Amino acid sequence: MRATCWRPAWITLVTISREGKITDVNRATETATGVSRERLIGSDFSDYFTQPEKAQQGYEQVFARGSVRDYALAIRHTSGSVTDVLYNAALFKTEEGEIEGVFAAARDVTERKHAEEEVRRLNDELEQRVIQRTAQLEAANKELEAFTYSVSHDLRAPLRHISGFSKLLTEEYGSNLPTDAQHHLQRIQEGTRRMGLLVDDLLNLGRVGRHEVRLQVTGLTSVANEAVAELKADCEGRQVEWKIGSLPFVECDPALMRQVFRNLLSNAVKFTRPRSQAVIEVGQREQEGRPVVFVRDNGVGFNMKYSDKLFGVFQRLHRPEDFEGTGVGLATVQRIVQKHGGRIWAEAELDKGATFYFTLGASEEGEPKTKAAMAGDRV
Amino acid sequence: MTGQVEILLVEDNPDDVELTLHALRKENLANSIQVARDGEEALEFLFCNGTHAGRCFERPPRLILLDLKLPKVDGMEVLKRVKADERTKIIPVVILTSSKEERDLVNGYNLGANSYIQKPVDFDQFRDTVKAVGLYWLVTNQPPEPNGFGHPAVQVTAAK
Repeated sequence: MRATCWRPAWITLVTISREGKITDVNRATETATGVSRERLIGSDFSDYFTQPEKAQQGYEQVFARGSVRDYALAIRHTSGSVTDVLYNAALFKTEEGEIEGVFAAARDVTERKHAEEEVRRLNDELEQRVIQRTAQLEAANKELEAFTYSVSHDLRAPLRHISGFSKLLTEEYGSNLPTDAQHHLQRIQEGTRRMGLLVDDLLNLGRVGRHEVRLQVTGLTSVANEAVAELKADCEGRQVEWKIGSLPFVECDPALMRQVFRNLLSNAVKFTRPRSQAVIEVGQREQEGRPVVFVRDNGVGFNMKYSDKLFGVFQRLHRPEDFEGTGVGLATVQRIVQKHGGRIWAEAELDKGATFYFTLGASEEGEPKTKAAMAGDRV
Repeated sequence: MTGQVEILLVEDNPDDVELTLHALRKENLANSIQVARDGEEALEFLFCNGTHAGRCFERPPRLILLDLKLPKVDGMEVLKRVKADERTKIIPVVILTSSKEERDLVNGYNLGANSYIQKPVDFDQFRDTVKAVGLYWLVTNQPPEPNGFGHPAVQVTAAK
């Protein structure tokens, strides 16, 4: 049994002869050991510790070095309770300089030890709780993603059948059908096509969610440029000015990062469609010592009132006849950024344009890496 | 061709069967297509037992179109059995499935699948895909003579 906390701290003082016998003690030593001064004197000093050999070693160190400081031992009380102590001890000599024995003072550190143990225990408990809660959240998330995945997966088959049979109907009997019926068939086809896109986007979102992030140091400038190259075909016949600045090298999953740029840039291309001269800019700025990457366009923008809806699945801020889309793209981007421990947000003004900013948690050493990017990774 | 099955279509969904057959027939790619509605039936057909006990082993299909999610015996198991058997392992197996699961892709190729295709939702694309698969494996591709099936040991097995 450990000494309880209410017991006041004390300092024991003992003198020990060269033969290892106690020659005198103070009151506190009696309290600590539960043994009277009369019985302590003349007894072997090491008898009162939980580790007599360690006590003996400490005693020998005093002779070898002249003194010891903060030597940890534990005193055993006759009741069986144990007190943790730290010893300071030194040799004491007669006036003639002859070594008479060891003078040892011990202070009770039980309370401090208890407090430390308590802190450690609370920390462990907290850590356990965090681990538990994280595991629960992860499980819930995984379940949701598995659900999304299997639903969208199972939706594909009936969708394929609607698409197939309505197509066959159009091909084989279309010419015999009245114009109205042909129009209805066309709407069915268009509906299945849109739902197909939706299901595929949802599947992709689910896949991103389950994808294990494989980090490697990647130059974002080249990732952005690849995305731009892919999008050039969609810009045919349009005036689009691309301004790709130098971006940092960061630790990220390159496949997922490509998707981030592809989605953000294809949005920029889409929402600048009404502009005679579209300007799409990719760059970085520093915020609280960390690089923030941005994608800016001079498109139709949106009202900041709705900015909280921006990254939700199926959330759209535009009419489908104005701008097509499934409302899954930005949700996917956010998922990827979050998987990297980063954050994404947007600033926009209606009819002026929009800017999307994101950070990646894993990014570090922004300064030197930025310089490397400027030197070797320019467009 | 005297009764030779050119394609074994292993597919449990009747709508998929109908659409696939429609696409194949339209392109005149296959004269004879056998449909197996689950993995067990597919194996019985290939190994000439059960409901197909009377079938001649020496006439294997030239192509297997294989769905993965199947009743009784699933597509992966069918693939494994086909590729594990000396007599059937040269038959090209094209996995034609709804799923694009990374795990299925890896497993499929590891088990010896010759191709892995996700059925497109859009029917035009679906038809183009089926056409391309049929053209490639039945016309472009040059398979070896199926001598494995004429092997005496095999004939003994088949005669049992």
